Order: sequence, then structure tokens, then C-alpha cells
Amino acid sequence: MLSFLIKRLSALIPTVLLVITLSFFLLHMIPGDPAAVLLGPNATPEQIAALKHSLGLDRPVFVQYVKYMARVLRGDFGNSIYFQQPVLKVVLSHAEASFLLATLGLMVVILLGVSSGITSAVLSRTAYDKVFLSFALLGASIPSFWLGLLLILLFGVRLRVFPTSGFVSVLSTGNLSNLRYLVLPALTLGAVNSAVVARVTRSAMLEVLHQQYIDVARAKGLNSANVILKHALRNAAIPIVTVLGFVFAGMMATAVVTENVFAIPGIGRLVVQSVLRRDYPMIQGIMVLVAFLYLVVNLATDIVYTILDPRIRLT
Amino acid sequence: MKFFKRKTSIFAATILSVIVLIAIITPFLRLLNPYDVNPKMRLLPPSRHNLFGTDQFGRDILARTLAGSRVSLIVGMSVALLSLVFGIPLGLISGYFRPASLFLMRLVDALMAFPSILLALALMAILGKPSIVNVIIAVGIVYIPRVARLVYSATLVLRETTFVEAARAIGSSTFRILWRHILVNLISIVIVQSTFTFAFAVLEAAALDFLGVGIPPEIPSWGGMINENRLYLTIAPWTVVFPGFFLLLTVLSLNLLGDNLRDFLDPYLRRLV
Repeated sequence: MLSFLIKRLSALIPTVLLVITLSFFLLHMIPGDPAAVLLGPNATPEQIAALKHSLGLDRPVFVQYVKYMARVLRGDFGNSIYFQQPVLKVVLSHAEASFLLATLGLMVVILLGVSSGITSAVLSRTAYDKVFLSFALLGASIPSFWLGLLLILLFGVRLRVFPTSGFVSVLSTGNLSNLRYLVLPALTLGAVNSAVVARVTRSAMLEVLHQQYIDVARAKGLNSANVILKHALRNAAIPIVTVLGFVFAGMMATAVVTENVFAIPGIGRLVVQSVLRRDYPMIQGIMVLVAFLYLVVNLATDIVYTILDPRIRLT
Repeated sequence: MKFFKRKTSIFAATILSVIVLIAIITPFLRLLNPYDVNPKMRLLPPSRHNLFGTDQFGRDILARTLAGSRVSLIVGMSVALLSLVFGIPLGLISGYFRPASLFLMRLVDALMAFPSILLALALMAILGKPSIVNVIIAVGIVYIPRVARLVYSATLVLRETTFVEAARAIGSSTFRILWRHILVNLISIVIVQSTFTFAFAVLEAAALDFLGVGIPPEIPSWGGMINENRLYLTIAPWTVVFPGFFLLLTVLSLNLLGDNLRDFLDPYLRRLV
């Protein structure tokens, strides 16, 4: 296990270095003088020179690159231009809402996507299956921001059951009922991402349900629930877990839009505001951190495989 | 053709043709001007005069929704083309020449490690001012690696096949092998993929417009309309519902078409990749 981890982690190194490199060139691909762009049209030449110096832009590109790389690898992403605070600190202060939203969203995906996928595989070629497939297609096609607004209209305005915007911290207030702010956003996030999970679950289950050991299990007289959940699902788990890992990354992306619909002070909202404020160090930092998180999730998915299926050896 | 024996294919093709027709014809219709401002007719509900109602400037939602189809189709089509033009050569080269893959595929991995909308947002931040061309470039860069990765894995499978070995044995040039034997065999999955790329690009561009970093707000686009009208969601829901519905219909038809195409075009390679 340990040697597998070391092997996989070292395979990640080139990708991580490339991610950091890409984020470095982000600032340098801005047409013209980045410092002038950052300060806007009313900046004096002295201000521009000062900012250039503080961002290190007056040194040769190669020196800047090496310094940037060394800094980022130590976990120092520089200071946000807008907040005048370390990027990492600002990102962490926005992390709670995003983390809770992603967790609740993933729960919705598992409840909605996996269970409906299993049901439709068991009831394949029935009317239920047809309805299910249409819903899955609808879920894959619906714009998340539009769905979010429709949910606001229905549950927030007409029925008045859930708050429609904002978020109050659960950690600092210790009040779990604040999670109600995340109900509609998590439903939006979950519904959009369930579609693909449901379809993969359905086809993985269909494949397994035609195997002979399923017939044997049934012939032994096991009840259906037992056959489906213990014998079939366990063997269909690999593609389902793969797609869940993939969807988790997708959720980080959809969350950017969802957080903006529901005015949730998370990382997704922060990144859009940073783009509008031209806060480049902030954008760079978020990109590196999110890409890193994504790579870690990928690795975690691979480790989960081996727990689910001992036939896969860690080599 | 078997493809059109499915009702869903006919449904999707019909809807798409209508939307394409709308995009081509509406600029010539004087009656439906998406820019006409009329302060006396602000936020009117749907009626005989304004079938889809009006927005906060008294502009006709029907006219703006129909005009919004142009932006979505142009962006979607251009991104799909861009991803093919760059993605196919990148994938072919890294799949056929192993040393090239070491660098190119690592770059593709790194680009794909960024969630799509995040990368598009960052690229919009670099490109500066909002414009259709910049949206096409930003979303295009997001989807090139995805096509490249698909072509790469298909090429890896195809270059080990007997017919490629035979072509090499009779002395075919590398270019001929890539062009006549490998590309021809993977083109069907690439066509299917580009239908989905089209659909994703339409959604992604609409999301950028919704977030206010896409195309300039004065040009009618579905995402942009939903963004500028969301403040009036509770008192004038029609301003948000109609453009979103057209967006949904477009993406849905593209996805349906992609699904059906996938079932009919070469399922053999699909299993291998």
C-alpha cells in the first residue's frame, strides 16, 4: 500500500508542476502590461512601477518563474490585490460554505442518481425505465443556473419553505439548522450531476445482472433485495465510484454557477468576483488549489477501487 | 437511414432545424426587434402583443429570445470546430509517436485538472474584454484537450491493429497511415464527441454570460437575459423562464442527437477506447 501511494504521488508531480506553470503564465499572458491592467486607466506611472516591483514583474521572466514555483510549493500564493490579505487565508475563509455544499450535493447525487439507476436497471425495458431515461437526459441538459432560479421561484417564493439566498456559518454559530440555506443549492447541484451517475449506474448494473452468478444467487432462493444489493451492486461498484469521483470534480465546476445563483459566499463566488475585480493572484491561487484538490480526489478514487475490489492489485 | 427511424432523432433534428432557421431568419424580421426599448411597456406579462411578455426596459422577450439563438449556435459550432481542428492532430501525434505523448498528454492532463468553467473564467480574465470571439477562444481551449485525449486513446488502440501493421509492412508513409488508416477509423467517435462538445459549449457559454463575464450585455443571449432579469424573477418570471427553456431545448436536442448517433456509428471502437 505504501509503495503504491508513493508511486502514485510521484506520478502526480509532473502534472502538479505543469498546473503551477500554467497558472504562472496566466498572469503573463495578459496583453500589455499586467500592472497597468491591474491598476486601471487612472494609475500614475509611479503606482504602476511600485506594483510591478511588489509583484516582482520587473525581474526577468525566468527568475520570476522559479521564485513563483518555490513560493507556491511552500504554500505561499501571494497577496490578494482586492483583500490585501494572503490568498490562502481568503480562500480558506470561503471554504466552509463550498465544502458543505459539495458534501450535501454529493449526498443528493448518491441518493438520487445511484438509487434511480439501480431501480431502472432492475426494471429495464419497462415504462419506469423509459421515464427514468428521459429524466436523466433532461438532467444532463438543463442549465444549472436556470434550474436554481426555478427552484427559488417554487420553494422560496411560492411555498416559502427554504431561504433563497445567503449562508450563515455552521462552524462559528454551531447551529446545524443553518444548513437550510444550502438545501436548494444542494438540490440544484445534485439534480444536475445525478443524471450522469444514474446512467452509469444503470448500465453497470445491467451488465452485472446478466451474469451467471446472479442466476445462481436467485436459484439458491435469496430474496431480490439481497441479490441486487449484495451480489450485483458490489460488482457494479467500480464504474459507479469512478463516475462519482468524476462528478465530484464536476460539482466543483457547477458550484461556481450555483453559488452565484444563491449568493453563497463560497470559493465559486469568490472566483467570479475575482475575475470581475481582475484580482489575478487570487485567480491563480484558486486555480492551483482546485486543480490540486481534483488530483487528490482522483487518487482517492483509485484507492477506493482496491477496497471495493480486491482483485485489483496495487502495483 | 436507420438513424432517422428513431422518433427521438426526428424530434431532436426538427427542433434543431427550427432553431437554426430562427437564427437565420429573425434578423430580417422588422416586427421583432430585440433592441426596441419602450418604457411604457415595462415588465408586461405575456399577451397577444407580446407573446413572451416584456423586460424591465419594455423590450420584447420573444424577440430577444429568438435573437439569442444566434449567439448560442455561433459559439457552440465554433467551439466544436476549434476542438476538432486542434484536438485531432494533437491526439494523433501523441498517440502515434510515443515521445510526443510524454509532453503533450501531460499538458492535456494539466489542462483537464481544472474544472471546465474555472478554466474558462480564468481565460476570460486574461483575454480581457467580453466579446463573442473571446468566449469562443476561452471555451474552445477548455474542450481541445478533451478531444485530444479521446483521439489519443483511439490512436493507441488502432496503431496496434493488424491493418496498420500491414500498411507499414507494404511501405506506406506515416502520413498515409495516419490519414487513410487511423483517422478514418476514429472519425465516427470524434463526430459523436463533437455533438456533445457543441451541447456543452452552448451550456458553458451561457453560464459565462449568466455570470456576467461572457459576451457584452447589450447583445441578446440566453444566459445574459437570465442574468439581467433574475432581479425581477418574482414579479416577472417570464423574463427568465422563456430564454432558459430555449436553452434547455437546444442542449437537449444536441444531447439526444449525440446519444442516437453513438448507437448507430461504429460501436466497436467505442468499446475499446
